[in-house]
Amino acid sequence: MSGASGPLVAVRDLHRRFGGVHAVNGASFEVPAGRITGLIGPNGAGKSTVLNIVAGALRPSAGTVRYRGQDVTGLPAHKLARRGIIRTFQISSEFAALTVLENLLVAAQGLRGERLWQAALGKRYWRPAERAAVQRARQLLARFDMSAKEDEYAGNLSGGQKRLLEIMRGLMAEPALLLLDEPMAGVNPSLARRIEQYLLEECAAGLSMLMIEHELAVVERLCDPVIVMAQGRVISQGTMADVRADQGVLDAYLIG
Amino acid sequence: MSTAWQFYISTVLVYLGVDVIACWGLNLQFGVAGLVNFAFIVFQAAGAYTAAVLTLGPAVPAARGGFQQYVGGAHLPFPLPILAAGLVGGLLAALVGGIAVRRLRSDYEAMVMLVVSLIATSVATNQVGLVNGPNGLSLVPKPLATIVNLSPIGYQWLFVGITAGICVCVYWLVHVVTSSPFGRALRAVRDNEQAAAALGKNVTGLRLLAFVLGGVLAGISGAVLVEFISAWSPGSWLYPETFVYFTAVIVGGSGNNLGVMVGALLVPVAFLEATRFIPQFGPPGLIDALQWIVVGALALVFLWFWPRGVIPERRRRFPRPAPAEAEPAPPVRAAP
Repeated sequence: MSGASGPLVAVRDLHRRFGGVHAVNGASFEVPAGRITGLIGPNGAGKSTVLNIVAGALRPSAGTVRYRGQDVTGLPAHKLARRGIIRTFQISSEFAALTVLENLLVAAQGLRGERLWQAALGKRYWRPAERAAVQRARQLLARFDMSAKEDEYAGNLSGGQKRLLEIMRGLMAEPALLLLDEPMAGVNPSLARRIEQYLLEECAAGLSMLMIEHELAVVERLCDPVIVMAQGRVISQGTMADVRADQGVLDAYLIG
Repeated sequence: MSTAWQFYISTVLVYLGVDVIACWGLNLQFGVAGLVNFAFIVFQAAGAYTAAVLTLGPAVPAARGGFQQYVGGAHLPFPLPILAAGLVGGLLAALVGGIAVRRLRSDYEAMVMLVVSLIATSVATNQVGLVNGPNGLSLVPKPLATIVNLSPIGYQWLFVGITAGICVCVYWLVHVVTSSPFGRALRAVRDNEQAAAALGKNVTGLRLLAFVLGGVLAGISGAVLVEFISAWSPGSWLYPETFVYFTAVIVGGSGNNLGVMVGALLVPVAFLEATRFIPQFGPPGLIDALQWIVVGALALVFLWFWPRGVIPERRRRFPRPAPAEAEPAPPVRAAP
């Protein structure tokens, strides 16, 4: 793969306007491989918009997104997902009428039988692959302590369990880059700690992540490097210590 | 059993088959993929006209005594008109869906579909040269009638058999869709489009495919019906008919093929047939009007109290490995 030694994602001079609002106004940054990159900034800084653009949910008004050295600007979300960029949502996005296990199976990439012609070839054709996916999903459920909820409808889960499902679904897709939009929003402190632990384990296993997070203590523990956005621009980046020392960051947070 | 009863029962069975096929088609669109197709009846009508025209033969000009005008007449042998009807239903769905399903959110899509239904009725009624306008097509020859030499009642039962055979084939198709990972992907799209896209599902492609499959089944159901009753006109596919099918799917159990079959039995067949046996009361047309009110009320009551229907969508459970096959627990490390 070209660009293996370079950054995983390189964003250049990204712009996005919504009507008269310039939500992203010339943002440039890089996401290195094998780390958890933090994306922080005051409300309205354009963090979610940037994440949506990298994930393919929004098209930029201008600028480029390169992934593994290739220009992927404006590719739709499903194509980016197939290339290994998977995102989670700030608001729980479970498939409510599917069970927890089915939610995970949907995330399995390139599963046999997901195309109509493959389905028409019959159970014997796609069952073995599905069994393997079920096994993998069960391992994930066991690791996240959710095995008891396997057959529960995802819509019936508690808020915290839905957050876990969101992350499990992301991992089930075996991404190269996981984009996390406030993965611990509205989660009780002990579960938040567990989620932190899971993310650190995944990072140690080689998964690259880009994470929007408001809790700076969490960012400090998990993220290196940290990218700070304000008013649609990247105003600072580096380690959390670098960023803390930056007067511009302080101003942005205090003044908004 | 008297001949009259045999006629009645065989007729009701064919109607049931037609409604079951249609409801399965609508269920693929609405129950499984979450597409609100308020123009469903148009695709059934397209199939019916196609089958009728391809069975009737070339139109005879009025100057030479022809009493109906239509385009593209042909004499095709039995199963072909029905297959062609499925094809036309699917193509029309691809055309309409390509515009409405691709670009619109489901609530807007529903409105567009309602408008499509009204436009289609208007076109078929006023473009007399297309499918004979308001008078519709009639005297469609019955399939195989000239080949098999059966008594009228024998032919009725033959048609019941044909319908049942088509139902079995269609069931195979809908079962393949709903029980496979493909069906799961459709249900995921139904439950949360954005999340499905974020996990690599081609949302537009999947929705369009479900729309086309539903169109094919609608076309086939119309073809079976027209081959049986030998006539088809704009009056038989006004937009409220779509709501009868929606009510059937909702009452039976949206997302469950078996439930939808029960819904087809309960709403279009049992309910509408039952009113035949009510003694006439009030001004003429009162019972018909009440029927519509009750069908609408039924849909509302179910959506309010039993939104999942009589036989709800099945919860998929996956067999756990037998204990012997299960992975052995990791060995407990002995303390040094």
